Parts: sequence; C-alpha cells; structure tokens
Amino acid sequence: MSRLAGFFNGRSTSDTPVNTIPRGALVWLIGSFSLLLLPQLNRLPWWLVAACAVLAGWRWLAQSGRVRLPGRWLRTGIMLVLIAVYIGTVQGRFTVDTAASFFVLAVGLKWLETRSARDFYVLFFILVYLSAVNFLFQQGILWAILTFAAIGCLLIGLQVLNAPDLPDSMKSGWKRLGLLLVKTLPVVVLLFVFFPRMAPLWSVPLVSGEARSGISDTMRPGDISNLAQSSERAFRVTFGGAPPAYRDRYWRGLILDYLDGETWRQRDVESYQRPGRVAVDGGVGALASNQYDVLMEPTDQRWAFSLENSMAVSDNVFDAGEDLFRFRRPADSAVRYRLAVEPGQVRSNQELSPAVRQRYLQLPSSANPRARELADQLAAAYAPDQVVNELMTRFREQEYFYTLRPPAMPRDGVDALLFDEKRGFCAHYAGAATFVFRAAGIPSRVVIGYQGGDAGAGDEYLIVRQYDAHAWVEVWLEGRGWVRVDPTAAIAPSRIEFGLREAMAEEGSFLENSFTSPQRYGDLAMLQWASLQLDRINYHWQRWVVGYQGQSQMNLMSRLPGGIGMRELGYITAGLVGFALLVAGLVSALSMRRGARQDGFRRVVSGWHRLCEQAGVPVRSGETPGALADRLAQARPAVSDTARIFARTVNSHYYNAPSVKSEGEDARRLRRLLKTMKRQLRRGDESDPVPRTP
Amino acid sequence: MGMIKKIIKRRWSNWIGRRIPRADAQVFSQKNIFILPTGAGVVFGVLLLIMLITGINYQNSLIYLLTFALGALFVGAMHQTHRNLSGLTLTLVQAGEGEAGDDVPFRFRVSAGKDSGLAILLAVEDSKLEGVHVPSGQSREVVLPIPSAQRGYLRPDRIRIETRFPFGLLKAWSWLRPTSAGVAYPRPVPAPEVLSQVEDGSDAKKEAKVAGQENADLRPWREGDMSQRVMWKRFARSGQMVVADWEGEQGSPHWLDFNAFPGVDTELRLSYLAWLVAERLQQGARFGLNLPGEAIEPDTGPVHGERCLKALAVWGEQPPRDQDALAFGTRKAVDGAAAERVA
Repeated sequence: MSRLAGFFNGRSTSDTPVNTIPRGALVWLIGSFSLLLLPQLNRLPWWLVAACAVLAGWRWLAQSGRVRLPGRWLRTGIMLVLIAVYIGTVQGRFTVDTAASFFVLAVGLKWLETRSARDFYVLFFILVYLSAVNFLFQQGILWAILTFAAIGCLLIGLQVLNAPDLPDSMKSGWKRLGLLLVKTLPVVVLLFVFFPRMAPLWSVPLVSGEARSGISDTMRPGDISNLAQSSERAFRVTFGGAPPAYRDRYWRGLILDYLDGETWRQRDVESYQRPGRVAVDGGVGALASNQYDVLMEPTDQRWAFSLENSMAVSDNVFDAGEDLFRFRRPADSAVRYRLAVEPGQVRSNQELSPAVRQRYLQLPSSANPRARELADQLAAAYAPDQVVNELMTRFREQEYFYTLRPPAMPRDGVDALLFDEKRGFCAHYAGAATFVFRAAGIPSRVVIGYQGGDAGAGDEYLIVRQYDAHAWVEVWLEGRGWVRVDPTAAIAPSRIEFGLREAMAEEGSFLENSFTSPQRYGDLAMLQWASLQLDRINYHWQRWVVGYQGQSQMNLMSRLPGGIGMRELGYITAGLVGFALLVAGLVSALSMRRGARQDGFRRVVSGWHRLCEQAGVPVRSGETPGALADRLAQARPAVSDTARIFARTVNSHYYNAPSVKSEGEDARRLRRLLKTMKRQLRRGDESDPVPRTP
Repeated sequence: MGMIKKIIKRRWSNWIGRRIPRADAQVFSQKNIFILPTGAGVVFGVLLLIMLITGINYQNSLIYLLTFALGALFVGAMHQTHRNLSGLTLTLVQAGEGEAGDDVPFRFRVSAGKDSGLAILLAVEDSKLEGVHVPSGQSREVVLPIPSAQRGYLRPDRIRIETRFPFGLLKAWSWLRPTSAGVAYPRPVPAPEVLSQVEDGSDAKKEAKVAGQENADLRPWREGDMSQRVMWKRFARSGQMVVADWEGEQGSPHWLDFNAFPGVDTELRLSYLAWLVAERLQQGARFGLNLPGEAIEPDTGPVHGERCLKALAVWGEQPPRDQDALAFGTRKAVDGAAAERVA
C-alpha cells in the first residue's frame, strides 16, 4: 500500500536507535570548554591543556567524519596513559587544585565518548561544575563575565541539541536565553542578597600548589628585586581618614631575625594551625577616621600587612605580637580585613630580656670581617643611636647606588656591598645594615613588607603592587623601643617619597621585563586611566559581590527595619522562592485565561450542541458538524439554512489553518448564527408547534 | 500487587479521560498539560545542590550567584517549556489506512496559538515523530505512522504530544484522544489455485458462459467498461455497445466471494480476498466483492479497490466507541488483550 504512505514533515525516529549529537550543539560545547579552560590556564600542567586540545579536536574532526572516534581499547589506553601522567604530576598531593585538574582531565577524556544526547548532558553537568570550580581560583569581574559567557554557550548548545533543525537557532537561542535571564534576574538578585550565609559545613583547606608571587618568609640579597619586576596587585587599602604620606606608608608583614649564612629567616617558624572555619570578610560599617580596610589578594599565607601601631578591628585577623597581624586561616582567596591605627598604644617599652636580646644580636660566627671591623669602630666611638645615624650618613654621603641590576656578590656579601660594589637593592642594604648594627651590639632585625601605594581611580583607595615590596631595618634603642631605620631612604630618597618608578627613572629598569603590564607605560595617560578604571570596577566587585559574606550580610540586614537574623533570612529566602513560583504560576494562569478567551470558539460549539439537544436532536459523539446540521434541519426545518452555514463555518475553522485573527472572527460569526438559530427556533415553535421528541 | 497496579492504571486512565475528552482536535492549556523534570533535569537539581554546598563551604559568593542564576533559569525554563505546548491545537486530519502489521500513516495538523511550538514530538507507543516546529499563528501538517497489529479499526487511545524545549531539563506533555479510527486491511495472503482456475479461461469460454447466463444484466456501455465485457456480436447486429453485467452471481470470475473457501479460517479468507483484490486491481480487472451481509457491486479502479479493502478490513468489527478508554488495533492493545486472556 505504498500509495497510501504519506509525506513526512518531521524526523521519524521509530527506527533510528543512535541519536547522534548535532554539529551545532557540539560547537557550543567545545567553545564553552575552551572558555572555561582560560581561567585555569596558568594553573594547569601544560600537558593537560595539550591533551584537552587534542581530545576535543579529535571529537570535532570525528563529527565532520574526517577521523573515527577510537574504539574501546584505544580509548582505555588513552585514558590509562593520561591518568598515569596525572598521578605522576600530582605525586599524592591532594588539594583542591589537583582535584580541579582532575576535573579538567575528566572532561578531556569524556570527549572521546560523547556520542549520544546522554553523553552531552553528562558533559554539560561536568562543565557547569567546572565553572563553579573556576570561581574558587578566579574571582575578578572579567573572569566572572567569561565564566558566565561559557555557561551561556552551554545553554545555547542545549537548545541546539533539543531542536537541531530549527532555523536561525543561534540568534533566537541567545534571545530566548537573554529574555529568560532578564525575567529571572530580580529573583536571582534577591536570593543573592537574602540567602543566609551559613558557616562552612566542614573545614575545607583550599591550598593550591600554585606559586603565588609575593614576599616570602626568607630573604636572600637578590630576592626582592625579582618581585620588583611584577606589577601584580598585592592589596588595596581604603582609609577612613586621610591616607598617610607616601614616605610613611610602610606595610609591615614579617620580621626576619635570624641570619643563616647569607639568608635572613624567621627564627621561630610559625607553627601550623588547623585552618579555622572563619568567614573571610572582615569589618562592617563605615570606617572610623583612624581605621583602614585592606583587601588583599590571595597569598596562601597567614600573614597580613599593617601600618605601624595598628590594632585588629575585624575578627579574621589577630595580633601575633611584635606589631604583626596574622589571619586565622591562610588567605587562599581574596580577603578583606580591618585595622585601626592607635599611636597612643605604643608597644611596651620595657627592657628586652637577655634571651630576646641575644636573639636580635645573632650573627653567623664568621664572614664579613670588614663589616665587623667597621661595626667595632662605630661601637667604640658612639652611643647606639649615634651608631645608627653614622651608618645612615655613610649611606647618604658615600657613593652608594640603589639599583635593580646589582652585581653578583657571592662571598662576604655584606663586605662586598659596603666597601667594594656599593650597588644594591633594598634587601641588600637592609641585610647589610642589620649585620653592622648587630655586630655593633645593637639589637636589630629585618622587616619585610611593602612600602608605598598609588592612588586608584577616584582616589578611593591605594593600590599596593608587588613592585612596592620592600625590606628595612628596626633597631632597639634604650627608652625608645623598636625604631624603624631604612637604608634605602638614605640612598634613594625618591624610592621612599615617590616609589620605584621615580627611583628607577634614570636606570630605566622599572618593569623592564613586563611588557604587558599597563604600569610599565606610565607615560600613556589613556592606558593608565583605563587600567585604573578597570581596577576600580574590580575593587567594587570584590568588595560588594565577591566579598558579600556573613558579616556584610548581617550588616546590611541590620540596617533594614526589624531585627533580621539568620532565621529570618531563612524565612525570607523560603518566602522568595515561594513568591517566585507563585508569580510564575499566576503568569501562566493569566495566559490560560487568555487561552480560554481564545477558546470562545469551543464554547459556541458546545452552545450549539445544547441547542440541538433542546431541539430534540441528541448529539452523537464523533458526528461531523455537517451530519448534525442535517439531522437538525430534518427535525426543525425552520433552522435548516442557518444550521448548515453554522456547520460549514465550524468545518472551515477546523480544517483551515487558523490564525489568531480569524479565530476571533470565526467565533463572533458563529455566535451570531447561534443567536439567529435560537430566534428561528422560537418563532418556529410559536407558528408550528411540533411536539418535541424526548 | 498486579491487582493494585491495574486499579491504579485504570484510575489514572479514567482521570486522564475526564481531563482530556475524546475529540479529534485538542487545544492544550493549563488544564491538560503535564510537566515534570526529565532525568537530566533531576540530575541538574542535584548538581545545583552540590554547587550550593560548595558555595557554602568555600564561602564563595560567585558560586552562590551561579547557583541561584541556574536555579532561576530552571524555573524560567519550566514556564518556557509549558508555554511551548500551551495554546497549541492538535487535530487529527485523517486517520490513515494500511495493511495490518504495517505502520499506518495518520495525518495531523499542529497549529500554534500566540506562542510558537518548537521541537514538538508526537508519539504513539513506540512510534515517534520529533522535531516539529510551528511558528506562532501558523500550522503544520505531519504524518505519524501508527503501528497496527491486526485487521480492523485502528485507533490509539492516546496520542502523546511532548516537548522538552528549550533545555531538555523539563518535559511538558499532553494527549490527544482521537475519535476517528484508521483502518488496517487484512494482510494479503496468496489465494489457492482453485480460485484462479475459475477466473481463468479463454474469451470464447467466457462468451459462452455469458451467453448462457440467464440473469446477466445488460446495460449500455459507459466509460471505464472493459472492452472484453462488450457484447461485440450484439454491436455487430445493432450497432449498440452493450455490456453484460452479473448480479450476485456466485463462483463467477468477476465476484470475489467469502464463501469460496470452505473450511478456511475467517481471517485467512479475508487475507485471500485482500490478495485477490490487489491482484485484480493490478490487472485493471472488473470485480465485485461478496461478504456475508455485505456486497460490493463489480467495478474497477483504485477507489473501488479501496472500498473493497476497507470492507474486508472492518468486516465483523464494531467501530470503536468514544467511551472506550482503550486502544484499538495497535500493537500494545493487542498484546494487552492477549495478556489478559492468558491471565
């Protein structure tokens, strides 16, 4: 009966068991994967990125039929090899970082077995979670936009998968997605604001294996000059009052009190402490005039940077003694903390105990004889504070140079610096000065941290960058306690007054190896401006969106009328979800009513059926309108014509393509006809009373 | 256990019957659209929960934001998927005809209301037709092959219309419960030789038989009559083209007769007859069909052929009534009936 086989408008799949993935959907999936890899590029091992590129490329070529997907054996082989390489790379370290790498590896391997719609969904889920993992490592606004764009690509891919042959699917897909996002945006914002920020359910250390740039807890003479090549941001500071003068912006981080050969380190290594389950945000409300907020980039370390004479205000930092502050858990993501400068609260001026004094006088037993000799001469001639002044004068008056290109001084470095080369960077001079002071019997120590900080856009905050890293000296003077002494200030005052750029202007070595850094091109005003504006946007993003955590939420809520606590927030969230669902329900109920109105047509038809029943013509189910009209006409000749027209209209409505416009017209016409029929029936009844059949 | 299952099934089917009255056209709305997450949608929900926990544990605001955005999108998609089906009209335009055991094509019209209906799927039992797109205010005609299991009326109880657009995380579906039934012809089985003998024979023999036939009905020639049937002798005599017609003659080569196969099973007889009808049609021969209680006058042409096949198809069968919440003639219906008989 092939002549009866009809035409097909859709795809009949009654006998096509293999559901292959449409090309368009795959493109979006691969595109999204590439976007999601970008934030992790510098973390992932190179072989993993290469493997992902090859595997995704393989899948893509297989789609166009140029190559075949590997069989089961080859696939297993590839999988085993890659996992072996992975295990070799990871070497048993289990961190979030390695877990994220494994996640990427899983996606890469999945490409080879993405054949059906089901596999597509598996990839979709993994990629969505991968984007969440990305947020653990990158939280800048541009990265966030990129990640959300990747999610958008995924959702377009899903639409293509579900309607592969829809014409113009990309444009309409974005449009549909955009509309959906706009509609749901208010709910998302409200949820974000009101969803209670609970404490972590269990402790999760997020120590990545990645080497962060930043100061470290040891200092060899060349160390800080490496940092000076980086314009990465270290932290940003907002002051409640006026920021201190440039020359007073000393951000103390660590005290190095033990000289081990050429290397300065901490004598007491800070003991390991279990990371606490502590909210990362610190300090709420407006800043008092002596307070300042620091928004620090992740360092994976526990040390915080502070001005002299500070006190902890926020809960996430504590005073670790010696005017230093430490976090309760390593700063594995951007962290904000608040301190206050309290000059009145000068630290105890009492005597150093002999043990402590010994500690700050420690020196290696040999090396640098000339420096020791100089120290002996100074100590013999002057009181301790004069010794300090004498050395600074020596630095100021003799031909010492502050340079990013110091010569190598492999043996007796302090001697070489002080008497022969006379060229060095802050770490050299700080180390040498401490050596001389200690040799002269003055308790002293190296302090490392940052010095300086440039104003951000709109002067809202200071930006301290890695090239502001600095090392200086503190000496103990009877009756005055610890006093800051900075050899760099004596040698290159411009470094302390204006920053490294000015200090290196002559040498031309400022950021000489970082070609991509906007700060390198200080003379391009446009570039500087754009870079600062972007930084400002990012600052507010970090401050208000990324940093919106427990305390910020509580602070915001406390400004609302009524005491809103955690429990109330829970109620509000539940209410919000309920409200959103209700609105969705209402909207569809409204559209149903609209549908009912559209369906006035059906009402007219059922009205006609009632009329027929009343006229003694029972409606048989399955009867065509024409047949019913015929029977009605037979029973009640008075309405025969009208009934037949009515039936024809109904027929033409059902069997012609209805349009929204004709829908209403048809219904109106039918209603008129129905009215006429009723009138005709009444009149017929009056003139010609036919007994009704029961 | 089986009992409870059966009761639940019946209740469910009654409930659907109340919601969706039997009609050849159905407008889908809030009242009769069902919506649930798909398997992928459930997994997506679990994923969102895991993401929320990740966000809580790492105190990561951006993960919160992503989770909320995707969650809201899921709710939005629910609305979208529902709207995709709502306002749509599905009309059974023509219930098809075909051989028993084959897929019988049913023609449908899908008309969109204010919103367009994209990626619509129509399905009956295991036959599917997917990827039907209807822009708003337009309509599309589609053909869905419905598998038939046996001769007779073919009417699936429910025709499923479904959409998972846009993301495949949710599915909205409803049914059309058609009144019209298609027809499945008996599957042709080559008839035994005996009969073809009757039909065979030389022109002269036929002529003699025609001449000897008392109740041959003579009537003027009209278009479509075969030249063999014309009484040429009479034409030579009178110049009138007259054609011989036989009335209700059994055993005649022009009549296909139900009673010509004594002792053969009814269904097989019908299959023989179907085969003979197809054969005659191919030859362009003129034939009539005689069934107990029904006779179709000899005629030629495809329309006549179809009429005969249809008569064979529904002989002895009751047309499905509207009230029946049962499928007629589909594979599942037949299997179900068989299972019930066994039980």
